[in-house]
This record gives sequence, C-alpha cells and structure tokens, in this order.
Amino acid sequence: MYGRVQGMTLLGVGGHPVTVEAFVGRGLPALTFTGLPGAAVQDARDRIRPAVEHAGLEWPLRRVVVNLAPGNLRKEGAGLDLPIAVSVLAATGQVPAPSLTGVVFFGELSLKGEVLPIPGVLSAAIAAARGGLPTVVVPEANAVEAAQVDGVRVVGAATLEQVVLFLRGSWHPPAIEVGPGAGWQAPAADLADVRGQEQARRALEVAAAGGHNLLLVGSPGAGKTMLARRLASILPELTHDEALEATQLHSVAGLLAGSGLLRQRPFRSPHHSISTAGLLGGGSTVFRPGEASLAHRGVLFLDELTEFRRDAIEALRQPLEDGEVVVTRAAGSVTFPARFTLIAAANPCPCGFRDDAVRMCGCRDDQRARYRGKLSGPLLDRIDLRLRVPRLTKHELLGATGGEASVVVRERVIAARERQLARYRNTGWTCNAHLPGPFARREASMTAAGERLLGDAVDASALSGRGFDRVVKVARTVADLGAAERVDVVHIAEALSYREAFEAEERRARAS
Amino acid sequence: MPVDEGAPRPEGFPSDFGQGSGDADAALALRCLLGITPRDLHELIWREGSAAASVQAIMAGAAGSDNDRSFLEETTPTHVRRRLDAAGVRFALAGDPEYWPAFLRLADPPVGLFLRGRPLRLGDRRVAVVGSRRPSKLGIDAARDLGRGLAASGVVVTSGGAIGIDARAHEGALDAGGTTVAVLGSGIDVEYPATNRALLREIVQRGTLVSEYPPGVPAEPFRFPARNRLIAGLSIGVVIVEGVARSGTRSTADYASQLGIDVFAVPGPVNSPLTEAPHELIRDGARLIRGAEDLLDDLGLESGGAALASLDGLPPDEGLALAALIEPMLPDAVSRITGLSIPDTVTALIRLEVRGLVEGVGGRFQRTFRPAAQA
Repeated sequence: MYGRVQGMTLLGVGGHPVTVEAFVGRGLPALTFTGLPGAAVQDARDRIRPAVEHAGLEWPLRRVVVNLAPGNLRKEGAGLDLPIAVSVLAATGQVPAPSLTGVVFFGELSLKGEVLPIPGVLSAAIAAARGGLPTVVVPEANAVEAAQVDGVRVVGAATLEQVVLFLRGSWHPPAIEVGPGAGWQAPAADLADVRGQEQARRALEVAAAGGHNLLLVGSPGAGKTMLARRLASILPELTHDEALEATQLHSVAGLLAGSGLLRQRPFRSPHHSISTAGLLGGGSTVFRPGEASLAHRGVLFLDELTEFRRDAIEALRQPLEDGEVVVTRAAGSVTFPARFTLIAAANPCPCGFRDDAVRMCGCRDDQRARYRGKLSGPLLDRIDLRLRVPRLTKHELLGATGGEASVVVRERVIAARERQLARYRNTGWTCNAHLPGPFARREASMTAAGERLLGDAVDASALSGRGFDRVVKVARTVADLGAAERVDVVHIAEALSYREAFEAEERRARAS
Repeated sequence: MPVDEGAPRPEGFPSDFGQGSGDADAALALRCLLGITPRDLHELIWREGSAAASVQAIMAGAAGSDNDRSFLEETTPTHVRRRLDAAGVRFALAGDPEYWPAFLRLADPPVGLFLRGRPLRLGDRRVAVVGSRRPSKLGIDAARDLGRGLAASGVVVTSGGAIGIDARAHEGALDAGGTTVAVLGSGIDVEYPATNRALLREIVQRGTLVSEYPPGVPAEPFRFPARNRLIAGLSIGVVIVEGVARSGTRSTADYASQLGIDVFAVPGPVNSPLTEAPHELIRDGARLIRGAEDLLDDLGLESGGAALASLDGLPPDEGLALAALIEPMLPDAVSRITGLSIPDTVTALIRLEVRGLVEGVGGRFQRTFRPAAQA
C-alpha cells in the first residue's frame, strides 16, 4: 500500500521539488507526517481527509504515513496539499500509478475538495521544466501564470475530483490560452502631463537610459512625486526573461491576481514607515520578497527619503551594489533578485522651503544640518543623479511649455540602451550606471575640451573625487542619448548640472 | 530721597563712581546683580552718589530683589574677583581704557563690562555687522564678504555671536586674518548658542568677547535687546544685512540712530521678508551699501579688498547667459531669453559656475554675491 508523487515547495523565489510518499498500513486511523513538515503542512492533516471524501473518494480507515523528501529541507506552504492527497489516493489504488510519472502537483485544497489558488505557481512551473517534469497540475486560477513557462504541459484543475479524473484518463483539460502576450501599453501617467521642470524631466530620461539612480530634492508642491511616477513610462519594455524573473517574485509574494506575465516594469513605492524586512524581504519560516525585490527590473520609489528608518535605508546598499538580497534567518538563507532603479525624493530641509522662490525657510542651520545627516552617505554614493526640483512660481508655470510625451522619450531611451549593450558586449555590464569608475573614464573617451571642463570643475572644488566618477558615468549616458561616440563639453556640462541636491549645502558648510 | 520721575537723568556716572578699591568692588558687586535693570541701577547710582552707597541702599531694601540681597550677603568681592581671574575674565568700569565712552551716552549705560580675549583698544575702529539668524544664501555671502573686506582693511568687526549673519560676519573677519568682537547676551563664559561654540572659542583666541553679565548667567531672550545696545555703542557704524521687519536686527539699528552712529543696510530681493528691515532702514535714511568697498568708502577708509571682477572677456554664450541672469532663474528661462538651446544654456551656466560667477541655488541659477571675493 504505497504511493509516490512529485510536489513542490518554495525556497525564496525558486521552486524546489519534493517527493511525497504515502504508506497505508495497519493501525488506528491517523495521518502522520515525516520529513520536516512546516506549520502549513501540519495543518493539512485535518484538511485533506474532508477534501478527499468530498471528491467522492475513499479515505483509508487505517494508519497513513506521509513522508516528504528530501528530509533535510523544511517544507512550507499549502501547495503540498494536492500532492499529499494524490499520494494517499495512489497508495490506496484510487489513481493508477503509471499516470503519475512526470507529473508535478502544486495546489491547496479546501474542505470541499476545491483546488485553491496559491502564490508561487510560476516558480513551481519553472522548477518543473528545469527538473524535466513535463506536466504540472496547478490550481485553475493560476493556470495562465504556469502556462508562461515553455516546455511544460499545464493542467489547471478546479477540484480534486478533476485531478483524479485527469489521472484516470477520463478528463482532458482544455488547452490554456496564454494570450497574445499583451504588448506594451503606455502607463496612464505620461511625461507630457508635467508642465515645466525641463531639467527634472531630462534627468528622468538620463536615469532611464543609463540605469542611474536618481534623487529629487525639492519643496512640497514642486512635483517630485509626479515626476517619479513617470519614470516607469519611459523605461523599455521588459524582455521575456526579465518578465519571467519579475513575475516569479510577484507570484511568490502572492501579488499576481491570476494574470500572466508582468508586461510593465514594476513601480513600487513603499511608505516610509516600512520595516527593514518589508523593504528587503524576510519572514521567519516562509521567506517573502521585500519591496526591493518586487521592484526587480523596475523602479523603487522612496518618497520622503529622510523619513525612512535608517537601518532599512542602510540595508538597501546590498541590492544597489549586487542586484540581489540575501535574507538569512534561523531557517536558512535565500537570495532574492533585486535589480531596480532607485528614485528617491526628499525635502531640502525640515520645513521644506529652503531656497524657495516665495516662501521663507524657517529652519536654523543646526536643524538643517541634522536633517541632512539623516541621509545615509553610502546610499547617496550610489545615486548618480541628484537634483533640486524648484517649486515653480506662477510666472514660471505660465511661461512653461508642455513636454514631450513618454513614447517619444522612450524611443531615445531604447536607442541609448542599445548603444550601451553594443559597447559592453562580452563585458557583463548592461548600462553605464554599473561601470566601475576607472572603466567609466575609459569608456567615456572624452574630448580634450570635455576633459578640461571636468578638470576646471575639480579645481573650482565644485566636484569631489567620488562625484567625479558619477559625473563621467552620467556624461557617458548623456552622450549615448545624443548618439555621440565621444563625451564632449555639452555632455559633461549637463552631467555637472545633476550633481546638486544637498551638495550645495554641504559645500557652503565646508566653505564657512 | 524723593525721585523726580520727570527730570532727565544725567549722562554717564557720578565723577568719582568706582574710584578707589572699595567703590570699585562695590561697582563689581552691583554689576553681578540680576534683579535690577541697568536703567534702575543707573537711577539708583545717581540718587545715592556712589557704588558703595548704592549697595547699602539695596541691602536696606530700597531697590533690587531678595536674591540680590542674599547675593550681597553671601558673596565677597574677593570671591568674585577670584572667579573672574580663574575664567580669564576682565572687568572694566567707566573710565577704564576698555570701557568704550559711547556707552555713557546710553540712557541705561552698563555699570561695567566683562571681557575675555584681546583687549579692546581705544584706537580700534569697529563696525557692527548684524542680521537675521535665518539668513538666505545671499545674506550669508554678504555677511562673510563684509567681514572679510572690513577685516582686510583693519576694521574690527563687531557682532552678537549669534547664528546666521552674526556668525558669518565673525567668521569672515577671522578668515581675513582680522579680529572681531562678539557681544554676548549671556554670561561672559557661557558658550551660547552651542552651534557657535568653536567660533566663540576662536574669538577668545583672536578677538574679544564682551558681556554685561557675570560668569554663569544663562542666555535668555530678554537679554538680547540689551546686548544689541552694546553692539551699537561699541561701533562707529552699524550694517544691517538681512532681517524681518520687527526684529532684534532692527533694534540694533534703532540704538545706533539714538546714539548718532551711522546705519548702513545691504539691499536684496524686494519680495523677500528678509529684506524688510534693511529696506525700511534705507527708506528711513540708512546708507545703502553693496559690499565692503561701499562701506569703507563711506567711512573714509582704504579698501584692502579686490575690486569687482570684470565681466568682459567671457565667451559669447556665457556672456549672454550671465546678462540674462537678473534674478534666480531656471535654465529653461535663461534659454528662452538668450535664444540658446537648453544644452548650450546649461553648458554656459555650468562654465560660469565653474568660474565662480554663477551658482545653483534650489534648482535655479543666480549670480554669485561677489565674484571677486570668491575667485
């Protein structure tokens, strides 16, 4: 009386195959688990029997032992409900054993025997394809998600009964409509909505083109949030692989509402009260990706940067540097991808009206200094573009022209990205932001006049050593946007105009 | 003795006030009392005729507070002097070389002054530079420039040791290798505000700290107007850099006019609250100055600073952009006026910034306060 089926558990963002064995033998009726079941799996003990009986099947009134292998891996999640139930049905001969070969089961059961949708189906399907398992049985509501993966046949089942009928060969599940791959659609927020703010608008374009992180500092009402929300609209479409990565993370987090692949780059804007675990990912037994990972291949927007918890902000250094987050807990450690463009916004001072054209700033020097001190230096070092976004006066607003639409800007961004990809072929880099300093200087191949301006800026102490590399990288992107081979004076000058935020304040402080 | 409230009090102090060691000690004791205002004390001294007699009157309960009486009972002058010596503090009475005679023309002259650092010399020419505690960038630059320019010409810069304009003026003077006087609104040894601790220590080394208050007296708001009369009294001219309409800055200027000391004011943007005080003063007859040279000119002193940088010889784009910058402006606005493309405008502005002629403030570009001083 033995049955054996394949299930999946989630480990971070990846699916991990689990072999589920069931043995039905003599003894008082009971269901026992071995093989490190987690809390959610223990719960299944009382869920599975009603589900089986509701499906019109028989539950053995004998002792049932279910083993989950490998035994050294803690199994979490309700996705094992379905394989456990099927293993018991196999052990009692209610489904034919040969039908189980090459099939993976992943789904939660209700007491009525329905197969309920769960997070992480995409990851499970990817792991199945990778493990050479040709068929995946998943909740019907998650079928579209699983069907994005090439090389697996997806069976979307609504009930346990359907699963059994499928295994007996008397139900042929319908093919799943993957959809025409819904092409890129312009997000609702368009750059054309922004009046004036030419410099900030252009900075968004540069950020998108070179993968640079961006800090916007300005008074309340300057339009920082409005600008930031439009960054996603000028980023190139996700490639298929990028979409798979991003969708997997959203699936594991349970954020995918029955849809297929993400088409638009994610835009995440966590509130400043977020914890480190919320931002970076965590959880004590089940690891959940944080906002940094949900923003993978997209934009992470931190509004009111100075209000975030310092430890949370400091922890962002790892993903900014490595493009991934390693979450370590007692239960083990997992790696979540987290390669995003950071866009942060902050007020220039506690009252928000430092250097405003109309309102007077009411902050004292020491208050301002303390406020600036809240910004983590190491984090700022990883932000190439920093600029002040002034609150426009009525006069300036009236004189402002409407800007280009996102689609127009996006064309330039895509062309600039292609130039970078061609230049960095075989290097592992994909965009200027990721270049280490010395390489940035080489790749810039500056003209003599460009070098001179940069040198003058250093001499005028308008530029620090670290600022130097940032300016070179940004200038390289500006040149790429202009389809220029070499970085010239105009490119350097524009890059220099994006170095100000709090630096002006700091220079003032140094000079005094 | 009945006091005729209507009769004007004589200026200064009785001729033998504080003369002889007994009366000098009594005068020191009087200056340590916190329960009697300088004005009331001045009146009492004229009524009693000497410092010692005034002390007696206070002990008898005719003036002052209970705290003052217990202070006079518990503390001996030797005790106070020892404490002053330990803190490196000098005490100057009217007639002493460090007691500036102009104070005697005040309606409430200080009985004496506490001093630390470099001695005040009768031959020193002091000019006060005062203003807002929350200045704009322009104000900060103007104060520092004035401090430097005055100090470079040998003028001693006087101010209130406060944050903002005061601190920048002191710093400018020290930067130029000059000397400066800070008049405190707290006890002579109290480092207030804490932000300026390093600056105040530097001033003890290279300049002078002055206060009406003995060691240990905390800074309190009501002492600042009293401090302002001393700032004005110490100086041959008072410059107001920035200040809102009703402010301590304005009160310093008012004391100066009462004493017949010249008042100068630095103008600024007409729509800024920070220029209310200087602009009002200019309307009332204060002399408008654009920087240290103007001031030195008006005071008949030689300028030790550099002349304004010539704006000729700039490349055409930069010249156009600079000419367009009549106020803080966005690059797009500069581009519209000059007809240059936005990239060319940004290039010109950044080149000007590198030259020190233009600076970015709050996302707009403006001319620097004083190109020459920063070059």
